[in-house]
Amino acid sequence: MPTRSFPWIPAIVGLGLIGAAVHFLMPVLVPFLLGCAAAYVLNPLPEAAEVRGLRRPVVVVVGYLLIAAAFVLLAGTLIPMLVREISSLRESGPAYASRLRLGWLEFQRRAADRLPFAAAQINHVDPGVVIAPLLDQATSMPSYLLSAAPLLSLLFLIPFISFYLLLDGPAGLERAIQRCPSRYVEQALHLVSEIDHSLGAYLRGLILVALALTAASWIGLTLLGVNDALWIAMLCGITSFVPYLGLVTGIVVGGLAAGIQFGSAVAFLKVALLFLLLRAAEETVVQPYIAKRSVHMHALLYLFTFMAGGELFGFIGLIFAVPVACVIKAFIEVGWSWYSSEAQLGAPEDAEAPAVPYT
Amino acid sequence: MLKALKKLFFDPQLQRKKSFLRALTIFEDLRDRELGSMVQALHSRTYHAGEPVFMEGDIGRALFILETGKIALTRLDESGAQAPIYTVAPGEFFGEMALLEQLPRTASATATERSHVYLLYRSKLEGLLIQHPRIGATIMKHLAQILSARLRRASARPAAAPR
Repeated sequence: MPTRSFPWIPAIVGLGLIGAAVHFLMPVLVPFLLGCAAAYVLNPLPEAAEVRGLRRPVVVVVGYLLIAAAFVLLAGTLIPMLVREISSLRESGPAYASRLRLGWLEFQRRAADRLPFAAAQINHVDPGVVIAPLLDQATSMPSYLLSAAPLLSLLFLIPFISFYLLLDGPAGLERAIQRCPSRYVEQALHLVSEIDHSLGAYLRGLILVALALTAASWIGLTLLGVNDALWIAMLCGITSFVPYLGLVTGIVVGGLAAGIQFGSAVAFLKVALLFLLLRAAEETVVQPYIAKRSVHMHALLYLFTFMAGGELFGFIGLIFAVPVACVIKAFIEVGWSWYSSEAQLGAPEDAEAPAVPYT
Repeated sequence: MLKALKKLFFDPQLQRKKSFLRALTIFEDLRDRELGSMVQALHSRTYHAGEPVFMEGDIGRALFILETGKIALTRLDESGAQAPIYTVAPGEFFGEMALLEQLPRTASATATERSHVYLLYRSKLEGLLIQHPRIGATIMKHLAQILSARLRRASARPAAAPR
């Protein structure tokens, strides 16, 4: 039987060239990559309509009109609310600082009363040293959010790019298959299928979790009467892209905000309990749906991927770190599968072996 | 008016593909919407005359369904020449055992004229088995029937006379 080997050297050289091009063209590529990601995440919606026989262009145009209408409605209510919260946080920052300082002094006084032998050491701690950096960070949060404002320009470009990609649908992949040398079609499909398998569920799951966490924490914080609930919830949603960070952000930022606002540790504990319950709900309701088909990576590998992405490409690197890791993982898995099937590793039992005859 | 609206909103290409798939043994018993999901799971490619689809010894990972054209299945004989074993006609499928196990192909497939082929990739079928178990089970049932029929034919064949 004729045997052939995969052209590894051209493939590796090709990948290296693509990597270099990506590195140098990153600023230009960002809107296109985000547009591709948005189209990829949204694609199941027109696909579901297509199964029912509807034309893809009609579905995409109607879907865009509905999304635009929803965006206008949300922008009319949520954006003014967010702006109000940010300006109120800036104004109330000094009041929060003095309340926190008083709380700290009270804590020091009580601690010194109960532990008289350590009173000198306890009173030695300057509340300003402890609180100032914390408060600086807390009051800078809105600025951090506003610093991402230039990215809003992408909000107009990304839907534009994703619109055309969604209109095109699977036709782009079919064109690529048509251009692929015929003998490698099956391998190319294997690779596409593996990438789709690990990336699709991960991206859709991530966005679902972020949206669910934002909405649920906003409702929860509002019910607890915490001020600035919307921006705290948004911060949790954004940071939930990093595993466990959404939970930690919610407890620390939300808990501190509640603690300062109500002047009691109970408020902090209530918020902490809220976020722990949200985490438990996510684990039981959302994660089983996502994990069924999602990429499985160790938490430390997630952390390393984020750190490497952030170090190499900054904020954009953080966004694309895990998706790129998914693609690399798919390449490795497909490479191993090809190697093991070509090398006949784990081949089924010998057909010549004695077996029950056909009856 | 209603016809014009139907033409505007509904895709006639999808209906054509569904009708084609409905006629295949392997997709018999599938409902209309399931055939729609099937159309989405398939990839398509056009092969030019003389273009190989796969070679004997390649690891098989997909089932091929011929829509138009002709595909010649050949096998290397003892002298090393390609011996024709079958010519696939439109509406027939081949390479189906790749859906069950990843083993080397036992024959080569080459387009003898411009041919349009649908490919059902193995992992797409695995995805269907999870997401749409009825579709996956139907295909698997027909594959098992095909395999059983072939085994029956092979068993019924008289044993070759000893040399």
